[in-house]
Amino acid sequence: MRALGIDPVHETRRTFDGLLSAMSRPGTVQAVPAPADHAVVATFVDHEVTIATDDDSLRDALSGQGRLEAAAAENADIVHVRDHSRVDVRACKRGSLVEPSEGATVVYRVASVAAGSGEGTTVTLSGPGVDGTATLSVSLPESALAALAQAQSDYPRGVDAIFAAENRVAAVPRSVTMEVA
Amino acid sequence: MTEHTTTESRDESTGGGTAVPTDSVDAALSAVETEGLSGYNYAYLDEHTKREVRRSMLKAVAIPGHQVPYASRPMPLARGWGTGGIQASLSLLGPEDTLKVIDQGADESVNAANIRRLAANTAEVSTTADTTEADLIQSRHRIPEEVLTDDQRLVLQVPITDALRKVDPSDAANRRRHAHENYGKMWVHLYENVVEYGEINIASRYPTMVAGRYLMDPSPIPRWDVPKLDDADHLTILAAGREARIYAVPPHTAVEPLAFEDRAFTVERFAEQECHACGSTDTYLVEVSEEPGSAAGGAGGEGNGGADDDADGFETRYACNDSSFCAKRRGDPDLLKDHHLDRSGVDWGPATPDADGNGGGEA
Repeated sequence: MRALGIDPVHETRRTFDGLLSAMSRPGTVQAVPAPADHAVVATFVDHEVTIATDDDSLRDALSGQGRLEAAAAENADIVHVRDHSRVDVRACKRGSLVEPSEGATVVYRVASVAAGSGEGTTVTLSGPGVDGTATLSVSLPESALAALAQAQSDYPRGVDAIFAAENRVAAVPRSVTMEVA
Repeated sequence: MTEHTTTESRDESTGGGTAVPTDSVDAALSAVETEGLSGYNYAYLDEHTKREVRRSMLKAVAIPGHQVPYASRPMPLARGWGTGGIQASLSLLGPEDTLKVIDQGADESVNAANIRRLAANTAEVSTTADTTEADLIQSRHRIPEEVLTDDQRLVLQVPITDALRKVDPSDAANRRRHAHENYGKMWVHLYENVVEYGEINIASRYPTMVAGRYLMDPSPIPRWDVPKLDDADHLTILAAGREARIYAVPPHTAVEPLAFEDRAFTVERFAEQECHACGSTDTYLVEVSEEPGSAAGGAGGEGNGGADDDADGFETRYACNDSSFCAKRRGDPDLLKDHHLDRSGVDWGPATPDADGNGGGEA
């Protein structure tokens, strides 16, 4: 998506490569083109899915290519969160038991995300993709991550979270158990 | 006559096409070799298709074992020939990747060679037959004998996505069963198997629980390969083109074949047999029927006690199914399946040191 300065073929492929690794190995942080949240949206958002975002540059870029299908956060397939206090992740779509994959993907734009303990809130992850346990620290308050854990608590329904900071992504899919320390 | 004229004028008006000499097939082929690919996007698929496949792959990884629908596109080969696997691979591959394609254990089958060529031509990837060199392995019906690492991804081609299909043909009913984790009908099927045959008699597509929640069809890999998916280091993507579903087994995920406490899951047994070419006894073997002396690798027809001679001069004997590992073993008969790792004794299914209780029937 050139409007965002992201190459539509090779940079989205590299972003997807990072996303797939992040999603299949929760707790790891993967490199992607910067800014990470824009790269993530450019990689998998088009008119086939709905997106909730308050980022005007993103809306303009998507709409300029006929790829913007906007919706409120409660109904959107992709929820782009720049300010966690403005979106209640517990109200996002969780899919149905028959088709849980219709649950939302929540893309948080954060200042920092790192493997292990560090800035912000540290969470402990276990479950599919994690060998034993893993820790991840995200620059979000405990309450925001506790809300996310609640939105992921009725597996297989739930939301999947992607944390995007500068040129890095990490993911917490609904299949893992996240304990907010 | 009128029709003929119409055809001619249509040919002439085809914009951008190149005239191809038609005096011989060879001439026609050599004329298109240089053209052909112009106008195609990188990695053949358009970006809209890739976004679709990529979204479904991410959801599949987030819900291990759940079949995620996607819009499977027409591909330049018939559905059922690996179109799902190709769409998944081409959505993943980048120019720095190395691709290996296996068809029933062999790298050189027509299907595998053509898939590899499509990826090499359109995605500019390097290709290999060596499992340890590949970043992405697309496979039909086998998981390689050599241990896959956490840098590798495996794409399995899937003909039938739902393990429950054999007990109920209704997709709607089966999706409700998955929704409620109601697998009673499959347990009855396994019980009937035990009553009839004394053991669970399922050759391939063995029903398998993923992460304790979803019953999965692991694609038509032999039972031999199923334990390799349990707590694996690599990511497995299972993609079906005809049925338009993608599902996945992330690394370090519990994968448990269904079995009873008193009727354990067993893998294929090859009593007293070894590969006629490399002598392996710890690999998945298949029966091959060949004219004596015609064997690949020049193993000759001699020294093969268990071979049966057919009346028509053909001889049935056992050979490794994984041809690339067999070739390595012919050079070094003591080569271990984890020879390329910096640790040893890796649990990689049957007949590996740590395969606790899954090897043979001794458990």
